[in-house]
Amino acid sequence: MRTLLQFSDVSLSYGRHSVLEDLSFSVEEGECVALVGPNGVGKTTLLRLAAGVLACSYGSVSLAGRRLDTLKPAEAARLVALVPQRFNVPFDFTVEQIVEQGRTPYLGLFSSWKRQDRRAVERALDLADVTSLRKRIFNELSGGERQRVKMALGLAQEPRLLLLDEPTQSLDPGRQLELLDLIRILNNEGITILAAMHDLQLIQGTFSSVLLVGPEQDVCKGRPQDVLVPDILERVFDCPSRRYPQLFGEERILLETST
Amino acid sequence: MEMEIAEKRTLASAAQAAHQSGISDRALFLSLLLVLLFVLAIVLVLSIGMGATKIGVRELLGSLLSWNHPRVGDSVILFELRLPRVFASVLVGAALSVAGLLFQGLFRNPMADPYVIGSSGGAALGAGIGLFLLPRFSFLGFGSAAAMAFAGSVGSMALVYCLARTGGRVPVVTLLLAGFAVSTMLSYSTYLLVVLDDNFGLRTRVLASWLTGVIAVPKWTQLDVTAAMIACGLISSYPLARRLNTLALGDEYACQVGVRVQRTHLAIILTGSLITAAAVSLGGVISFVGLIVPHMARLVMGPDHVRLLPVTAVAGAIFLVSADTLARTVLAPSEIPVGLLTAFIGGPFFLYLLSRTRREYTL
Repeated sequence: MRTLLQFSDVSLSYGRHSVLEDLSFSVEEGECVALVGPNGVGKTTLLRLAAGVLACSYGSVSLAGRRLDTLKPAEAARLVALVPQRFNVPFDFTVEQIVEQGRTPYLGLFSSWKRQDRRAVERALDLADVTSLRKRIFNELSGGERQRVKMALGLAQEPRLLLLDEPTQSLDPGRQLELLDLIRILNNEGITILAAMHDLQLIQGTFSSVLLVGPEQDVCKGRPQDVLVPDILERVFDCPSRRYPQLFGEERILLETST
Repeated sequence: MEMEIAEKRTLASAAQAAHQSGISDRALFLSLLLVLLFVLAIVLVLSIGMGATKIGVRELLGSLLSWNHPRVGDSVILFELRLPRVFASVLVGAALSVAGLLFQGLFRNPMADPYVIGSSGGAALGAGIGLFLLPRFSFLGFGSAAAMAFAGSVGSMALVYCLARTGGRVPVVTLLLAGFAVSTMLSYSTYLLVVLDDNFGLRTRVLASWLTGVIAVPKWTQLDVTAAMIACGLISSYPLARRLNTLALGDEYACQVGVRVQRTHLAIILTGSLITAAAVSLGGVISFVGLIVPHMARLVMGPDHVRLLPVTAVAGAIFLVSADTLARTVLAPSEIPVGLLTAFIGGPFFLYLLSRTRREYTL
């Protein structure tokens, strides 16, 4: 397996306030990684660094073997797409018009749309299963539909690495499961995925590994069954697992089988 | 199971229908543009014909296409008074509307307008300074006013942009307040120039008419320069229109797909200021045109800026030529300033928009 995303001793600070310190990890091509950690540990910041929206103060972020800060913004945007958590659109754009914006890294200021751009948009709409919504106005969609459109927007970039920021947040259980199905499908299509996940229950079965960032910015990465264990979770989330057995994968499975 | 298949089939046919309507989107755009151009032609002919001296349609077309020569007096009226004024209103209308479209896209906010956010006020003050303090400088018969108007417009826009942005977003409240404060300061500074001018000469009258918004009768050289400025602005708006669609999804998103956000914002400010300055140096501060026209165009065409750009330009020309024709004929022989007329139409429209968007922005 080849390394797609590599963080080496990455630190980020705003003035005196340090956000990330000496963070190192890597994501291999084809992996499906859940990014987990307590609130305020910098999960969103980490995703923004990986997308090249933010530049780190020290260390380096590399994508497919090339340092992100040496890539032109459009070059980076063809390798990696970030699906943001919040997304507000001031005008009445249709779903199709929004997803078309994902082709921006492939289009210059004057170049016209080519067949491959059209095809990429169709494929993105199809993969995210929003083809039937294409003429609908984005602001009038439900939360679950919006989340799928956002995924299609990221897919239109044809990225090798897809970064998702809390993709299941504020979705009902049915829509959450639909979204996890979509993540599995995309991963099977060969897209590497790194998703910040809040809900630990949703990780097993979909994600091949977990990247856990602790409160001291200690990183640990491994298979879900090795990382999401009471000892580690208790320390990282500062909460006794015995009190909240439903939080943790294994116990939950036990509970389900016993009922 | 059967129901599911049936449902899938209806979904597929709906998708197909939607896809076919994608082709008619383009047809709608082109036919709308054609209709607007046709309306503009009619409005132009009517506007040139109307006024203290009526010129008949036959006579007008005849002399324009020069198959008959009109009487000498009519010819002077036509070529020295009517045509320059009507062309000026075409330019001003198109320019203000496109500037409004650009600024609304920049601020991601349908309430932005060159007048509301102080860009016109900056241009008027700049033009006033040019007129009063640097009167000797002259280029192609246009004087320093146009250059200073551009400088003033850029300056005030930059100020409002910095004041109104908080954390990469421009909330409607801060935009309107910053725009209000800046344009009030600017317009009183312009009045100050009037007060300081002790001989109450021609320049004061020019300045006073700038502040209310009157399309004076320009010289042809003046029209050439502003037309060139506006043409430059429109040409550079075209690639920016595509970027505006991306920027509409947020600065953060635009940055993520490889748009150089700061640079694009600067290009939008410069382009919008250039065409605002051109418009102001011809017609002064004419309010709300840049608010009404893009909004109407968006209602019909949807929010795609690439298509909105030509539609807005032509619709803006129609709007202002009609308004100016009304302004000079309704109370003939005296004239209403066209800025007063657009304020009467645009003010209530602005309040209507505000009441409609209030809901979204209090969240």
